Amino acid sequence: MSDFVNTPTLDFRRPPVRDQVGAALAELDARLPLAAPVRVGDDSRTAEELVSADPGRTDRAVALAAVASSEEVDEAVTLAAGEGRRAWSARPAAERAQVLERAAGILQERRLEVAALEVRECAKPWREADADVCEAIDFLRYYAARAIDLDAGAEVTSIPGEANRMGYAPLGVVAVIAPWNFPVAILCGMTAGALAAGNAVVMKPAEQSPGCGALLADVLLAAGVPAAALAITQGEGKTGAALVEHPLVDAIAFTGSLPVGAGIVESAARLAPGQRHFKRVLAELGGKNCAYVDGDADLDDAIPALMAGAFGFAGQKCSATSRVLVHESRIDELAERMSGAVEALSVGQAERLETDVPPLIDADAKERLDAAAEQAASEGTVLARADAPAGEQGWFVAPALVGGLPESSSLLDTELFGPLVTVEAVGDAEEALARIDALPFALTGGVHSRDPVTIRRFAEATPVGNLYVNRGMTGAMVGRQPFGGNRLSGTGSKAGGPDYLLGFVEPRVVSERTVRHGLIV
Amino acid sequence: METVGSQDRVEASGDLEATVLQRGRELVAAEPRRSPLRALDDAVTRRISSRPAMRSAFYRMVDVAPVCSSPRELGAHFVAYLRGGRPPGPLGASALGLALALANRIAGRRFIVASSPDRAMPYVRGLWDRGIGATLDLLGEAVVRAGEADDYAGRCIDALGVLGREAAAAGAPPDGDPPRADLSVKPSALTAEIRPWAPWSATEDAAMRLRAILRRAQVVGAHVHIDMESLDSREATLALAGSVLAEEEFRAGPSAGVVLQAYLRDATEIAEQMLDLADRREAPLSIRLVKGAYWDHERIESTEHGWPEPVFATRRATDRNFEALTRTLLDARPRIRLAIGSHNIRSIAHALAYADGTAAGRDGLEFQVLRGLGDELAVAIHGCGARARVYTPVGDLIAGMAYLVRRLLENTSNDSFLVTRGRTADLETLLERP
Repeated sequence: MSDFVNTPTLDFRRPPVRDQVGAALAELDARLPLAAPVRVGDDSRTAEELVSADPGRTDRAVALAAVASSEEVDEAVTLAAGEGRRAWSARPAAERAQVLERAAGILQERRLEVAALEVRECAKPWREADADVCEAIDFLRYYAARAIDLDAGAEVTSIPGEANRMGYAPLGVVAVIAPWNFPVAILCGMTAGALAAGNAVVMKPAEQSPGCGALLADVLLAAGVPAAALAITQGEGKTGAALVEHPLVDAIAFTGSLPVGAGIVESAARLAPGQRHFKRVLAELGGKNCAYVDGDADLDDAIPALMAGAFGFAGQKCSATSRVLVHESRIDELAERMSGAVEALSVGQAERLETDVPPLIDADAKERLDAAAEQAASEGTVLARADAPAGEQGWFVAPALVGGLPESSSLLDTELFGPLVTVEAVGDAEEALARIDALPFALTGGVHSRDPVTIRRFAEATPVGNLYVNRGMTGAMVGRQPFGGNRLSGTGSKAGGPDYLLGFVEPRVVSERTVRHGLIV
Repeated sequence: METVGSQDRVEASGDLEATVLQRGRELVAAEPRRSPLRALDDAVTRRISSRPAMRSAFYRMVDVAPVCSSPRELGAHFVAYLRGGRPPGPLGASALGLALALANRIAGRRFIVASSPDRAMPYVRGLWDRGIGATLDLLGEAVVRAGEADDYAGRCIDALGVLGREAAAAGAPPDGDPPRADLSVKPSALTAEIRPWAPWSATEDAAMRLRAILRRAQVVGAHVHIDMESLDSREATLALAGSVLAEEEFRAGPSAGVVLQAYLRDATEIAEQMLDLADRREAPLSIRLVKGAYWDHERIESTEHGWPEPVFATRRATDRNFEALTRTLLDARPRIRLAIGSHNIRSIAHALAYADGTAAGRDGLEFQVLRGLGDELAVAIHGCGARARVYTPVGDLIAGMAYLVRRLLENTSNDSFLVTRGRTADLETLLERP
């Protein structure tokens, strides 16, 4: 298990690679818009009830989706709870793992096409889109291997005359509700985890990325997941709510915002009449991620790391760097250099390889970040902004570096999910730790220091799920940095980690007396 | 084809190896003794580097030294490095820090000659007086914003002014020699916009500053050498050199050059691109052939992403490639000039031996060494009747720390020729064919 090898990303430094992706995008464009059906069992219904548009060119329809009605959601869950779970859980773990491996192989073959779709549907820049596909492949392979491990059961003590076994059984039906920012990887990870452990899945991709969801469903079905064990219900919040409320759903795997996650936890806790189980919720929620830059940090290394963490994919990652806490002896230097770095950012279409900051996902996001920038200007100082491209149609927001905010500013504890990062001075590492500790979120954290004592102190005292030392704080790799937050950032599961599948199974212990007539037989 | 052909030719004649041995012996005989201080310095460094925990603590201390605000802080860091992150006791940190700061200053000055071009001139003039050339390298922090790139270009232009003035005072170099005034320029410092995945995005921004530097070099009659860094900026660097050096304004001058790294598996293809650039120029193009200084970086980065390693895995393979490229490039004269950038006596002797067997002889060939590592070698090369030039970093210690750490590591790496040489008395082994 420790020898898991991540799927190599494309090396865009190589000119032939750059040519390939250009061709893949042209091929995809010729096929747009794609159909994103609702699929329940062998039924597939297409419609134009929901349109996902290119965030960089809003008149380009990328996918036309059917929206699952509450009846369709009910059919999907009912089928999954009956035939779906029976058929799928009856397969030996090794066989299920083979199916997931096959899906990984198909994704690998179609990786350029899938990444191109992410570029168009989510304005995910090429390198990040490619990394997303690689992560999806990694999830499939990693969980396939973990499912085989899990099938061996846990070690328990047996004594003479008493054989004890502890095994794990699938929960039944898992509702997977996924976000658009890692449109294939996160949907795939949650689905693959649930499937690997033997559950049937009803998935609901984000309403912003139905095309990516439909493509992933195609891949999994083509790989051999039985249609009854994998349904795809497209739609918005209403569809998701119907899924969460369905009494035959055993677990909900959700990645998204804190308000929605809190609603799911609350809704899942209510027992429907006749419901005979508690619904389990695995949630990956927001973050307000801080990076601390110590007095002895190497800014030559720290600044590029902070820039990538704050502005990669326009800051639309739950792991993104949001607040930079700087030792007061370095604040002027850091603010000046980082301001210049912000001004050098290239804001543009996701398909341009030189783009640092693509457009945001939709109008709501743009409105939220525009408002945040206004608030920042009135409460503090906008230290630097890059230029948003002129004459481009799309949800562009100029990335911003903000300083001088009062401690009470809501910009310091609200997740913005966009290209705005704040800097603030702290007297020392302890003050930084106190500010981090005061936050409700605890997802990722960063520390830039060359003092082993400081690094050790951060490792002990920060509550975050993922702490990154002297490196960028995004880009967790499957098997290398199991990912997930604490506090209100999540329910504590670690995607891409050795114990993730435990979230999708229930433990069962069998203890057998092996004595007959006073003899051990 | 060129490479294979020339190899066959020399092997058929059978005496290249004999000549290499002879040239190697001549070089070693011509080397002056190291100063006792330098010998002590090398002995201490080797001692430190033979203990991994000490070596790691030592380099981390050198790395952090410039930002420590007091000797006490530096001492505390060093103790923490030795103790693996457990807090140090209060005693002794200040005294230790003071000693370390002094040691760093000495170590720094070994590799970084002075804080500014003006202050470096006595050293440079001293080299010129002995018939040895110099190329200045202006150290600086990483460039993350346009203002920093402007500053760097401004410093380059000023340095050319200083170099030009001093070179004029020193008189013309011997016939056939390149200009005395010589500046190496880092492409990654000419722009804040190098994106490895979109190399074209930085070209115009960097070209604007490079042109200003080249114009100044034209006026003062200086040579400008475009350095090569890691693979991340290689394509941007080649695109920059390939466009600007062939522009109408610059194709006939100033004297200019690029760097070829022999540790790259595809170095032969890169050499082809450089020869193509040479064809598009009127004045010859200088090519500095080096092993490459980012070996660890390239291996780490490729492993992290699951990419094939772009560099040869062993020093021997690199050395072999170095020799093959040496022959190719010597055969490509006079449209190019070749600078052999190596401290490896075998590589140097091989270049001399092969050149001596060509019609052009040693025309268009020089040898470059690093200040602090190859000083004695430069004297020896000059003593053997070949052109030598010392790569001379200039700048303050903070900005030079990345450079300093790299040089120190190079000086103590197990795979380093210099370390091997320190351990091996046997000249035949050192001169063995790779």
